[in-house]
Amino acid sequence: MKIILLVMLLCSSLAFSAGETTIHTNNWAVLVCTSRFWFNYRHMANTLSLYRTVKRLGIPDERIILMLADDMACNARNEYPAQVFNNENHKLNLYGDNVEVDYRGYEVTVENFMRVLTGRHENAVPRSKRLLSDEGSHILLYMTGHGGDEFLKFQDAEELQSHDLADAVKQMKEKRRFKELMIMVDTCQAATLFNQLQSPGVLAIGSSLKGENSYSHHLDSDIGVSVVDRFTYYTLAFFERLNIYDNASLNSLFRSYDPRQLMSTAYYRTDLYQPNLAEVPVTNFFGSVMETIHTDSAYEAFSSRMSNSKIDTEMPLNQLSEHDLQNANNPNDDSKTEKQKCPYSQMRADLHEKLEKLENVDTVVNLSIAVMVLVVMVTSSLL
Amino acid sequence: MARLILTWISLLILQSYLIPIAFGSKEVEEFSEALLLKPLPDRKVLAHFHFENRAPPSNSHGRHHHLFPKAISQLVQKFRVKEMELSFTQGRWNHEQWGGFDPLSSMNAKPVGVELWAVFDVPHSEVDTSWKNLTHALSGLFCASINFLESSTSYATPTWGFGPNSDKLRYGSLPREAVCTENLTPWLKLLPCRDKDGISALMNRPSVYRGFYHSQRLHLSTVESGQEGLASGIVLEQTLTVVLQPETLFVGTNIQPTWSINSLFGRKVVGRCVLAKSSNVYLQMEGLSGHESKNMDTEMEAHELWKNADFELSLKPDRILREINSFLFIFDIDISSDSEPFDLGLTWKLPVKWSCQQAPLHASRFLMGSGNERGAIAILLKATDSQDKLSGSDLTNGCCTLKANIFQIFPWYIKVYYHTLQIFVDQQEKTGMEVLKKINVSPSTDKMSSGMMEMMLELPCQVKSAAISIEYDKGFLHIDEYPPDANQGFDIPSALISFPDHHASLDFKEELSKSPLFSKLKEKSLVRSYTEVLLVPLTTPDFSMPYNVITITCTVFALYFGSLLNVLRRRIGEEERFLKSQGKKTGGLKKMLSRLVAKIRGRPIEEPSSSTESPEARSSVFSSKLFFKFILVAGAAAAWQYFSTDK
Repeated sequence: MKIILLVMLLCSSLAFSAGETTIHTNNWAVLVCTSRFWFNYRHMANTLSLYRTVKRLGIPDERIILMLADDMACNARNEYPAQVFNNENHKLNLYGDNVEVDYRGYEVTVENFMRVLTGRHENAVPRSKRLLSDEGSHILLYMTGHGGDEFLKFQDAEELQSHDLADAVKQMKEKRRFKELMIMVDTCQAATLFNQLQSPGVLAIGSSLKGENSYSHHLDSDIGVSVVDRFTYYTLAFFERLNIYDNASLNSLFRSYDPRQLMSTAYYRTDLYQPNLAEVPVTNFFGSVMETIHTDSAYEAFSSRMSNSKIDTEMPLNQLSEHDLQNANNPNDDSKTEKQKCPYSQMRADLHEKLEKLENVDTVVNLSIAVMVLVVMVTSSLL
Repeated sequence: MARLILTWISLLILQSYLIPIAFGSKEVEEFSEALLLKPLPDRKVLAHFHFENRAPPSNSHGRHHHLFPKAISQLVQKFRVKEMELSFTQGRWNHEQWGGFDPLSSMNAKPVGVELWAVFDVPHSEVDTSWKNLTHALSGLFCASINFLESSTSYATPTWGFGPNSDKLRYGSLPREAVCTENLTPWLKLLPCRDKDGISALMNRPSVYRGFYHSQRLHLSTVESGQEGLASGIVLEQTLTVVLQPETLFVGTNIQPTWSINSLFGRKVVGRCVLAKSSNVYLQMEGLSGHESKNMDTEMEAHELWKNADFELSLKPDRILREINSFLFIFDIDISSDSEPFDLGLTWKLPVKWSCQQAPLHASRFLMGSGNERGAIAILLKATDSQDKLSGSDLTNGCCTLKANIFQIFPWYIKVYYHTLQIFVDQQEKTGMEVLKKINVSPSTDKMSSGMMEMMLELPCQVKSAAISIEYDKGFLHIDEYPPDANQGFDIPSALISFPDHHASLDFKEELSKSPLFSKLKEKSLVRSYTEVLLVPLTTPDFSMPYNVITITCTVFALYFGSLLNVLRRRIGEEERFLKSQGKKTGGLKKMLSRLVAKIRGRPIEEPSSSTESPEARSSVFSSKLFFKFILVAGAAAAWQYFSTDK
């Protein structure tokens, strides 16, 4: 029995390590605004700001799942129809001409959010509403709204708890839906939402610690409400200086948060994320920058990568490629996992064979019944 | 080198295969764009964009698209859609001022929110599945929550009250759906030139959504080829109707505001969409009665039409067509280029007043009653000025009658009592027999399906007003069924009033233009008008803070009083005595168990204070155990019974 368990453990750990070495294939972003009603304008502006940023840094619309709980742009109270601003200077229309909202209004529920993350949809749901990531995907999950200790409110009607989030992420990991996941949350007491996370490869940033509020940045007197939250405002201030070729690391993003400006303490949870943050560029999550692999001939891309892994280090993101280079140097990890899978299946086959060899099945049944009776007797006497 | 030659050869072979496919069908895909501008009597301007895309019947094994959007043709093929219309609307069409008896209003005055209807070409049993899948596909395509129409509580199956007569028709509407840029952009992406070139480049989002009314419509119909092995052709018609307010410089004067395309949209038309077969701008001027009598054969007269004492156009129209009470100026935008963009302007010189032609009856709908328990819905039909002029009414049995169809969907939580239907004609109650010619009712089922009512009224021609009222009870929803903003109330979708004997069309004398918009205007269309959306407040539980506060206050009070009562009433001496007497009774089995536990732990047995056992104590232990076992078995039996009979 112990041996079986051990083998299972070994297999699973190997499966994880195999996941670690998969090549970074694509970038996805799930951006969620969970607040309804006009006075929560700033939450939609937050989400749209991030939407603009990730789009600018190269993630295409079909790989962005945008969830907006209310319609602010064409709201009757909006003096600027079809426009959303995150600054009172009104220089930048976040809504633009080409916005694609995947879930909106009443569709933004905890259920739909969990469905998007775990990929458990009804058959009829179109592709544009699904998170079709794979085991090489880097996913950015941004959430904003009203939250509290270990929960985030959706539409002022239901809550997403930290356990729910952790379970969903765990399921995603098991289903190999991501390689690396970054969760960024801008709510009050955002740090508490990460308490239950356990899955490897997850990096989390929250706008405030337990017991702290996250505040809005400034009020736009033309629109009549606050237009952006502090944490997101300073995140954007950091990203506005960057373009797709920049090499700023996640560490520099984390260092850019000043508790005096935020009026709260930004929290980072890095214990589940192995790579050194100083070497991971922000475009790892906030953009879509792929490494380029030179191949000698067409149609043999993957095998050649395995054998001599020629990686273009002239790419601006040399840290990333170096990191992947290290991983890629592990030779033939696929065959290794196959070998390691064998003992477990062998054991199972052996057991199966033994069972089949038993000619008298009835004796086995009788024996088991006797054992059951014994167990029942013992338990009942204990009662 | 050899490889290169090989690829060349393969390419050549491929080409020789492809060419017959591409040119095999004689008909080609056609796209045309048009913009109709029309000043409205209440100082506003109507802009109606019209795009038509035709795909001819083609080989069913695959279609090569040049102009036609692939997404739509896949939709048609996959769900076997015969005809479909989807509209996104914000604002309410003002029937009195903007007209109710012309093709524009009867086709483009749509209910608020999203309206979708579709006719399928599948067996009866599969219609609902196709509908469900279609709503999901459209919701992905147009970034809207159209998938809410999939549930059987939100759509209906009209038989004859809604335009097309088909038993494979499904109709649904979402009155509260927001309409914004994210819906317009995918709609524009279906056009071959998108919003980059041609007339569609005018659609500046802020100016479109600043309007008083905007309705974006997509209508597709399939044309049967009639041949075996050929898939049917598709006609895709996309229209956007906007009512805009031009900025006026002189406030307070009676002169209509002066405007140009640039002042309305903030953009000019820079050239046509080169993929379009025709690209026209029309200007429709109504109520120019002063010029009606004049003969416009000569060039001089035509010139006077667009540059006269009342108004002046900034560009010379290419053609002028006249109708009974309106003129149509036609402009081709082939010649305009980057250096000279097309910017049509209209300058008024004298105050002119006119009125639009209206539908025979003006419909409005309202709620009656108060409270959260019951109420009544009333539909009021009022005669308009144009009623006398209309000659389309039916003369049967010597008396003149006016037919009106009413189509209405009720959500299931509005429990309508159909026997309370009352009809008043000119404030006098009529029995059903007199005016109600036909009625079809499908009652709602709780949480299963919505109710639907179709009726045909036959009113006398001289009717001044007609009112219909029907009572209802408000249902209760399950706590999960309330939307997050339940306190706002629940919407009842618009009712549709149509006049089956009246058809609107513009009757132009000349048959000059072949443009699709032009033929659409000439086509006879059923006169119809949608009523307002009603907002019904339902009983809503108090979801939010006060409820929590009450709960926590009650808990605190209970704890406080409970513990206080406990402290005051407790008699400690009595309890101690009771405990002592209890301590003496210890069962033999317990002793055995403790001995077992001690053995496992490897410690000496803790001897209980008294080792004496009374026989009645032993029996009580046994009886309690027996009792427990009995309950366990009974419980198991009950559970078994319950689960086995459940099926």
